[in-house]
Amino acid sequence: MSQSEIQFTFDDTTISAVSGQSVGAALLAANQRSLRKTRFNKNKRGIFCGIGVCFDCLVVIDGITNQRACIIEAKPGMKVQTQDGSNA
Amino acid sequence: MKNPDAIVIGAGVVGACTALSLSNAGLRVLVIDRGPVASGTTGAGEGNILVSDKEPSPELTLAIRSRDAWFEINTDIGGGFELEAKGGVVVSRNTKGISDLKKLASLQKENGVETIELDASTLQEAEPFISKDVDYGVLYPGDAQCQPMLAAAQIIRAVKKRGGQFIQGENVVKINSNAGSIVGLTTDKNTYSTPIIINATGTWAGEIAKLANSYLPIMPRRGYILVTSPAPKLINHKVYDADYVANVASGEADLQSSAVIEGTASGTILIGASRERVGFKNDLNIAILRQLARQAISLFPMLTNIQLLRAYRGFRPYAPDHLPVIGEDANVSGLWHAAGHEGAGIGLAPATGELITAQIKGDKPFMDPAPFSPKRFKGSEHVAV
Amino acid sequence: MVLMHNVVIVGGGPAGLSAALAAAAAGAPVLLIDSNSRLGGQYWRNSSTDLENQNEQHFDLATGLLLINAVEARKEIEVWSEAQIWSATNDEGKNTLRVIHQGKEKIVNTANLILCTGAYDRTLPFPGWDIPGVMTPGGVQSLLKGHGVLAGKRVVVAGTGPFLLPVAAGVIKAGGKVVSLIEANKSRRWLTSTIVVLENLSKIKEAFYYIKTISEGKVRAQFGYAVIAAHAGSTGELDSVDIARINRNFKVKKVKQVKCDVAAIGWGFTADTSLAGSLGCKQVVAKDESVVVWVDSEQQTNIPGIFAAGEITGIGGSDLSMAEGVIAGIAAAKFVGCKVDVLKAHRKRRAKRQRFANALIKAYPIKAGWKLWPNDRTTICRCEEVSLGDLKFSVEELGATDSRTAKLFTRCGMGLCQGRICGRSVVDLVAKELSVLPTDIDRISAVNRPIITPIPLGVLAQGE
Repeated sequence: MSQSEIQFTFDDTTISAVSGQSVGAALLAANQRSLRKTRFNKNKRGIFCGIGVCFDCLVVIDGITNQRACIIEAKPGMKVQTQDGSNA
Repeated sequence: MKNPDAIVIGAGVVGACTALSLSNAGLRVLVIDRGPVASGTTGAGEGNILVSDKEPSPELTLAIRSRDAWFEINTDIGGGFELEAKGGVVVSRNTKGISDLKKLASLQKENGVETIELDASTLQEAEPFISKDVDYGVLYPGDAQCQPMLAAAQIIRAVKKRGGQFIQGENVVKINSNAGSIVGLTTDKNTYSTPIIINATGTWAGEIAKLANSYLPIMPRRGYILVTSPAPKLINHKVYDADYVANVASGEADLQSSAVIEGTASGTILIGASRERVGFKNDLNIAILRQLARQAISLFPMLTNIQLLRAYRGFRPYAPDHLPVIGEDANVSGLWHAAGHEGAGIGLAPATGELITAQIKGDKPFMDPAPFSPKRFKGSEHVAV
Repeated sequence: MVLMHNVVIVGGGPAGLSAALAAAAAGAPVLLIDSNSRLGGQYWRNSSTDLENQNEQHFDLATGLLLINAVEARKEIEVWSEAQIWSATNDEGKNTLRVIHQGKEKIVNTANLILCTGAYDRTLPFPGWDIPGVMTPGGVQSLLKGHGVLAGKRVVVAGTGPFLLPVAAGVIKAGGKVVSLIEANKSRRWLTSTIVVLENLSKIKEAFYYIKTISEGKVRAQFGYAVIAAHAGSTGELDSVDIARINRNFKVKKVKQVKCDVAAIGWGFTADTSLAGSLGCKQVVAKDESVVVWVDSEQQTNIPGIFAAGEITGIGGSDLSMAEGVIAGIAAAKFVGCKVDVLKAHRKRRAKRQRFANALIKAYPIKAGWKLWPNDRTTICRCEEVSLGDLKFSVEELGATDSRTAKLFTRCGMGLCQGRICGRSVVDLVAKELSVLPTDIDRISAVNRPIITPIPLGVLAQGE
């Protein structure tokens, strides 16, 4: 695997990822465990099942909500944001 | 309860509202269903409580009263079914459609429905994400929304608290009458005596009528609803194409669909509506799902990136003349029918209950129930599909 | 795009890879559809097909890489990666798969299909299980093997089943600290069946491979313990868990608190039968109460031409999956006219591995005591934030008498994961409220999903 480093943003922070890593993995490596707040109770959620089944690790990517961070590959320049309920 | 004052067969929204109405009028009511509450069409309902989709007619009078009755029930039983006075916006994008809509709206207005015309700019204010090529609509503040399964369940719960009873899991096998009058019914488990039976079994109302040696031509009309993933709040009202009104009245067997879109309290967006006469066929028709998606995107382009999460189908019970059946059986006295509401079952349920109760008690009903009477089928030759 | 292929295989894990190679070797062209970016499924999750470059050593990853490289090398096997099937219907012998691949929808029509859609960690709800930092062993493993990321520095590994061992070993090898490794069951009954042990010496070897790493990491496994609650710190993220000594029935005896930043908790596996169910394949309830796809001795489902192999026919591990995959591949190739037969040796191998799988299921049961761990405030449906109290209300006050009705009243199972995580637990908890046993119908209806994965409305609208 190419060890090239890529960068994307998470809210206001720049996050480094190894090419091929998922957004969720890169965020976890950067100590970012909470990815969103739930719709009704505003509870924090992060990665749970890690394989794309539970839909807990939702983030907003380039304006589109409900993106599973654990299975989407981080790409250079991606704009990732905490998902607040169903909103960006 | 072996000798109730009345038995309601069917614990869907119509059965529940009728049971509540009778209960409030002092009758001891037994509700029987072969399955759980809302296990028929109610369980597949969208939750529409509309005054916007009916021309001035007995059905509109029924709808206007019923809509208000929903809010009275909400207060009476303490809520718990997500009732919301959200309002509806009907739009049209072609000249004839717009002119028809204007005519309809002004007739409805004369008959007690609040309507507000929207031009391109007020329409954009009401629905910021609606397609820019829509430049005319009518807002109906009276249109409302609820969660139909919760509504039926909360109402049955109230009926039980007021001395009524609900029995689940018994199948009615015989309707017993003597000299042309109801004396009771027999299920696969028990026999009950009562002088009054209300048939609120929706798509199966014809079968129940048959058990009483009577006749009711009720047929199923399949419909799908698409449910999206929880989405940002993009749609403020129920929004529909003016074609929706025409569809309801149409008798064609082929698939018909027109856009009906709204957001819900939980964040999902519901997309309908389709109508097909395919009996009780249970398969998933992918072509319909695509058609509904296309129509929805045409009205709200930003839906392109919103995901379809699930789709469900229900069977709307309808009579050949597309009017509900509310009233005493043509042949058997004491047997009352409250069925065949097609796609308006939820909206019309409370007023249906009121009409039935008033007639049973001999009180003056809020409107003349004759147009809905089952006696209109006496002597007809319709064959159930 | 409409295509017709001879053998279509869904799933690129041990079963799917084995089936693909067996079918191709028998002379049938193959289309292998996989949802991940790399072949290998969950079991052989990797970040490169070069053994030297792995982020973490896995006992038989070498076998996996061998199969992956073999599949990629064969021209008769076309592979679609990152392909998601959103809908599948069966109409009189023709199966139509609607696949989202490279941003577009592709339609695959085939008479011949092998389903190898695998399984995912089974989870049980308990107070705090939705706090960020609580994960599944599969999740921790995937982050490590697939992405080179250690989920945390102080890791608790808990639950039941042999899968906990490689996860703990992986954390240790990657430089993390396993602060607690606990297994709920005490029974090592499978060890006492001599035949099973002798037949599966390689499995013993594998277990000792992990045990060695674990003891070198100065970690001692404890038996008869479970995580029954998790607590958040001031950041709202995982800070500690309650570890309880439990009896044979999983009832709590004594509790102690352990600080951690990750808890990897898994209770066996749940088969992912959504695709099979959508096509109308007969599903049955297995001994471990999971819903699985029924197959005959040639791995064919009740629908002629549709075969199934691997975890979806019964949780049994990678070796059994491979044995089933080979048989399914041969049987499918035969179905399309290739001159092949399933050999006695194939059946013997499968039978041997099936015996081992059965022994494991017996050794790692999930006992009813877990239902007392959640309280009324505990989230049961994570997606829709439905609590145990909400579920109880739907039964006690709204009259729900089965899990399907409870679902309609509470929205349990209606969220994005469509009940994949909570479904099994809801069936058990509702049955407990009603003081009845869950029926097979309850369990099977909980996995009914005609829309298999969410699909953007725009993609749906453009398709044929």
